[in-house]
Amino acid sequence: MTRLLNNVWLQRGLALLVGGVFVFASHDKILWPERFARILYHYQVIGPNAVLPPLLPNLFAVILPWVELLAGLALIFGLWRREVSLLSGLMLLAFIVAVSSTLWRGIDIENCGCFSLDAQGRAAGLALVIEDLGLLAAALVLAFVPARPAALDKVRHGL
Amino acid sequence: MRWYRIPVFIGAGIVLGLAWNAWSGRGLALTSNVYLKPGDETVGVSEAKRRFDRGAVLFVDARPKMIYDLERIPGALSLPEDEFDAAFSGIEPRLRNRYDVIVYCSGFGCEASHIVARQLKEKGIPAVVLQDGIPAWQDAGYPVEGRAR
Repeated sequence: MTRLLNNVWLQRGLALLVGGVFVFASHDKILWPERFARILYHYQVIGPNAVLPPLLPNLFAVILPWVELLAGLALIFGLWRREVSLLSGLMLLAFIVAVSSTLWRGIDIENCGCFSLDAQGRAAGLALVIEDLGLLAAALVLAFVPARPAALDKVRHGL
Repeated sequence: MRWYRIPVFIGAGIVLGLAWNAWSGRGLALTSNVYLKPGDETVGVSEAKRRFDRGAVLFVDARPKMIYDLERIPGALSLPEDEFDAAFSGIEPRLRNRYDVIVYCSGFGCEASHIVARQLKEKGIPAVVLQDGIPAWQDAGYPVEGRAR
């Protein structure tokens, strides 16, 4: 299993997958920060409410898409891969917690704010959580399993 | 793992995000609630209760009818955002008879009350939005009615 996860081609594929998802996910959010802020409000996790002012979700709506875009591009082009993968994993984990908490609290999120921010957006649900757990696993492999060229593996194992 | 790279990355995102927000023309006002548009009026829950006690207000519930049936502010009319046109025609005479209309929905994450209040205004009915919706009304210990009571 470790040999498989070490495989440099597998890791490049995972980096392209996770990076591509992040770049795609950032597109509408960067173009429409107000729509994204509206969706963040629906989650009722980081406000606004009686304690947290609109500033917090608004800042998230403005900044998060750019971090997603930079992380996605870095993964695709192989820049600071381990650190960026960990950061991507943390963002995915935060998203999984947010979606799970809305399911737990019975809040109906018609558009999860994952990709498209218009009416055709996807609803937040269990399937989304499962998919994001898969992406989280991929990000963690990239962050913590060192890549090793397949040729080196063959030498080490005397193949 | 070079940990310093993570805050560097986040910092770059902060700079780009704030710059884009300031200069792209697509930005939002960071300190304002994005549900509020120019011309929107809101009323606090204690002021709404004072008007309720005087019998001087008509509440409008912008949530889906199913939720309205379960629990609502006493005397409120149902006007769900998703079924505005159909529901409006049924209650229009009562709305036009009252000057003081307060629209509410589920609170902080809910925009329906703002949308319904704007639609009422477009039809010539002055309407304001109850700040923080029915959760604030309930948290204050004010009465509600419905099947769930």
